[in-house]
Amino acid sequence: MEENNNKKPQAIVEVIEFGPLKISGNFIIKDLKRNKEESPGEIWLCRCGKSNNKPYCDDSHKK
Amino acid sequence: MEKDENHFSGGKRYRNKDITVYWKPSACVHASYCYRELIEVFDPSRRPWVDMEGASTEKIIEVVNLCPTDALAWKWNDEEKNQDVRADQYNHIKFRRPGLMQDKNSVIEETPVSVKVMIDGPVVLKGDFELTYGTTKKVVSDGMISICRCGVSDHQPFCDGRHRKTGFNG
Repeated sequence: MEENNNKKPQAIVEVIEFGPLKISGNFIIKDLKRNKEESPGEIWLCRCGKSNNKPYCDDSHKK
Repeated sequence: MEKDENHFSGGKRYRNKDITVYWKPSACVHASYCYRELIEVFDPSRRPWVDMEGASTEKIIEVVNLCPTDALAWKWNDEEKNQDVRADQYNHIKFRRPGLMQDKNSVIEETPVSVKVMIDGPVVLKGDFELTYGTTKKVVSDGMISICRCGVSDHQPFCDGRHRKTGFNG
């Protein structure tokens, strides 16, 4: 195993229990439906299907 | 070499007069490009779900090339055509032949993770990242996963394709 290989994790992806998907780090998000592309550094994506601000979480899962 | 006309290791194959399409269900992340773009050929509710007579060879190749995983691949039936590597690159042939696809040096060190929000479907993550869910924590290296966005998958947190049946709009 090489110490310095090119497989260094670029982002942290965290599935929050009963909550959204948190992604932070070096990533590019492409939203095919809304035709948007950005690299915001940190996002929370809706996993429950109820958000009014898809693909982002708006805390609707708590209702 | 070929034990069975319709099967290869872990999957099935479908032919028309020009090409063979390879289908490997275990590699599918339900990105759903295939049936959205060409339901005449790729219809998950039909058996067999691939109808090679449903569109032109050119159109089938175009849509198979959209598949972000190895689940769908294709190859010319004329082996001589497959020998031409330059034609392969031109046609973006995705049938993974050793030597053609294993150029790991071409991976750039700081490649951002690709996060694709699919139309009315899952979010597909591709690249090098650390993933935690429940008590599981793992490093995904040059890999791909598909996370459910509709909330109804039976295989949480991953997509199992159920959004198609429930008509998820997101």
